[in-house]
Amino acid sequence: MKIIKKLIIAICLVTGALITSCQKLDVAPKNIFTSDVIFNSQAGIQSFLATIYQDLPIEDFKYVPSSNDGAESPAGFEHGGNDWMSFYNEAACTGEEVGPWSGMDIGTGFGFWPYGDIRNVNIMIAELPKHVADLTQTGVDQLLGEAHFLRAYYYFGLAKRYGGVPIITVAQDPGAPLATLQVHRDKEQAVWDFIGAELDLGYKMMPATSDAGRANKYVAAALKSRAMLYAACVAKYGSVNFVDGEARASGAVGIPASAATGYFQAAYDAAKLLDGVYSLYNATPGDKVQNYVDLFLKPNSPENIFIKQYSIANNTAHSWDDTMSPRYFTANALSRSYPTLDLVNLWGTLPITNADGTPTRYDNRAQLMQQLEPRLQATIYFPGATLRGLTFDMQRGIYPSFSGTAAAEVAKPSNSRSYILASSTSTLYQGVQVIGFTGPWTGDDELTRTGLYVRKYVDYTRLQATVNLNTSVQPWIDLRYAEILLNRAEAAVELGNTSDALADINLIRDRAGAALYSSIDLTKVRNERCMELAFENQYYWDLKRWRTADVVLDKAHFKGLMPYYVFDENKYIFLAEPELFNREYTFPKQNYYEPLPGGEIAKNPNLLPNNPGY
Amino acid sequence: MKKLIGRILMGVAILASSACTKIDNYPGPNASFQGTLISSTGGNFPTSGGSTQIWLQQIGWTAPQTIPSKFDGTFEDTQLFSGGYKVVPTGGAFWPVYDTVTVNLTKGTTHNFTVTPYIVIKNFTATLNGTTLTLTYDIDAPIAAGMPTIKDTQPYVNTTALVGTGASIQVFSDANAVTINKDFVDMTPADKSMTLTVPNLIPGRTFFVRVGVRLSDSYNSSNFSNIIQVDVPKQ
Repeated sequence: MKIIKKLIIAICLVTGALITSCQKLDVAPKNIFTSDVIFNSQAGIQSFLATIYQDLPIEDFKYVPSSNDGAESPAGFEHGGNDWMSFYNEAACTGEEVGPWSGMDIGTGFGFWPYGDIRNVNIMIAELPKHVADLTQTGVDQLLGEAHFLRAYYYFGLAKRYGGVPIITVAQDPGAPLATLQVHRDKEQAVWDFIGAELDLGYKMMPATSDAGRANKYVAAALKSRAMLYAACVAKYGSVNFVDGEARASGAVGIPASAATGYFQAAYDAAKLLDGVYSLYNATPGDKVQNYVDLFLKPNSPENIFIKQYSIANNTAHSWDDTMSPRYFTANALSRSYPTLDLVNLWGTLPITNADGTPTRYDNRAQLMQQLEPRLQATIYFPGATLRGLTFDMQRGIYPSFSGTAAAEVAKPSNSRSYILASSTSTLYQGVQVIGFTGPWTGDDELTRTGLYVRKYVDYTRLQATVNLNTSVQPWIDLRYAEILLNRAEAAVELGNTSDALADINLIRDRAGAALYSSIDLTKVRNERCMELAFENQYYWDLKRWRTADVVLDKAHFKGLMPYYVFDENKYIFLAEPELFNREYTFPKQNYYEPLPGGEIAKNPNLLPNNPGY
Repeated sequence: MKKLIGRILMGVAILASSACTKIDNYPGPNASFQGTLISSTGGNFPTSGGSTQIWLQQIGWTAPQTIPSKFDGTFEDTQLFSGGYKVVPTGGAFWPVYDTVTVNLTKGTTHNFTVTPYIVIKNFTATLNGTTLTLTYDIDAPIAAGMPTIKDTQPYVNTTALVGTGASIQVFSDANAVTINKDFVDMTPADKSMTLTVPNLIPGRTFFVRVGVRLSDSYNSSNFSNIIQVDVPKQ
């Protein structure tokens, strides 16, 4: 027994001595991606980049500029599976459309603060040079260029909202003293200069081509033309029309007017880099309406510079088709935002009134539309247009007979007008339907309030039964060549180079089917921009950078195009009347800059003073 | 089974009675702040909805709050926390006040602000002829140099004594606005003597009326006249 005991003790001692513990607990954890796993291969980097691209502040179909008035909350850049309320858009707040907003309710934004994403880019920029062995020097340089582009994109999203923000180029260490983490704001001018320099690096380092949805050197140049034009206008117009305050005195918002020319030149030069690389989509020049419609729907368009894609399989599809047209054309849901007659009148006053002031008589609804510029027809569904085999049969009501001028009729109080209205499509007047299946209707806002519907980006090829929520996958074209030409023309005209501007604008007008200009000025360039880029989430920022928002949206009421059937003549007339909700839109001047998010100020009081007026 | 239910209920009762015993022992907001905006030309500074506010920020905190001014130029907030505050009037049609005042708020703190209006409306008269109301008034500027451009002038008509921007009947008010778009220094004496008409008032109703002159300052704000009552006789 003793021997056995001794033996047991001996075995214990020996095994105890041999099997030592705590030698190799320093094992790489299998559930955490270390930087080696991510940055040693293109595949790893691609998955890291996917998040950064997904969060880019691209104002696409799903972008919700505010959570006011029942819009999605939290608002902002959405990428989930059910961000379907496309009608809560910028256009519906600025008079391009009228929509569910009860006024100009997006001016204070939604508290955009993407420093988490910027941190990811900063980590990438710090890590990449350590992986030359696996990625090659060229590979590292190209990816670094892409990272600089992405960082510029995020800062652009910040600068146009807040002016000066802290420029963070190195990932912060959470363990550092609070004083170094609470960074002060940089001046607005410094942020725009930083954006310009980052995009220059992007242009220098990135290759000339890329997968769809990823950046290349020309994407960086295109974004630079957009960003520098914004900065130039802040300098030129923001130094005249501004709200005074501490943040302005410190340079956190505002740029000296003397810097404007430099920025206009930078915008012009950047746009010129795309000369000959991209071209306007013109696959079917014989049918300019169809051509302009297809520009937004055809893949591989030579006009697309930078796009954002969607997929049903990945649960990222959007709902544009289902929410821009009424239920009459779709399988589900409803529309709630509608183009205004004020937007249409940018193309010239519609031929709805004769020289003597009486409304022009039309044999059918479609006759008016057929005389209009092809681009206008392709941007907006007018009464008489067709989609998926059905007709836009907009009709506000019936006049048993009509005499007198349009102006006199519209000025009458509604109870002394001789028209017949209805609240249901089943109401008939002598056997004729009083209102159209597609409105206009005052009962709610699910049928047009203006007599018009959005056509741009609507995929006409889909069958009605398939047009459901979260099933649209046409890409959002974030940067297209037409915008670059418009950026270039605007910068050129501001710099006094009208011949260049005229050539750029005529390229666009030719494709649009519009009469070419023989001379050009700033108003023409700006109007062309508003027409060409309607509903593309540019107009709101254009109004802001031109500092005209408080003039254009000053107790503004917008109009609709109301079609009526004149019974005794068997004709149609169109009256320009206030949109049916007759809402008022006023842009407060302090909204040229959004307030810094309160939560961020609480974390970092060094961000104060807040922007003027808040 | 009944026993079990009884035990469960007993258990629930014990848990319920022992839970939530923590009492919020912080004092509620018991300080107040009130006062009057006084025009440097004499009298209260008349305001309207959505314009003049008292901006205040508690020292040591980062989020400012505001007290909207009442139409007669007074303001009051009785739900504030005691402490030191930086305060300044903002948002109205008066020469900007940049210097904040530090006040120590307790119960019943009163502080008056003196502001210099851009425009003062004088000799405001209203004449009713049938259902058409004619309003005449003169405008004057305490400080003319460097003043923002005058955008327009308009009547404000409402059925209650709360009348001003955002509290008026559109067809009687905004619809009768007159565009000016001139600098005060460029206006002739005739320009400064103004007349507005409000046609088609409804017989047998009482209206409250004032006029405003809007400027292109930081807030596109308006200077207002006093409020008068107009009784339209039955026809």
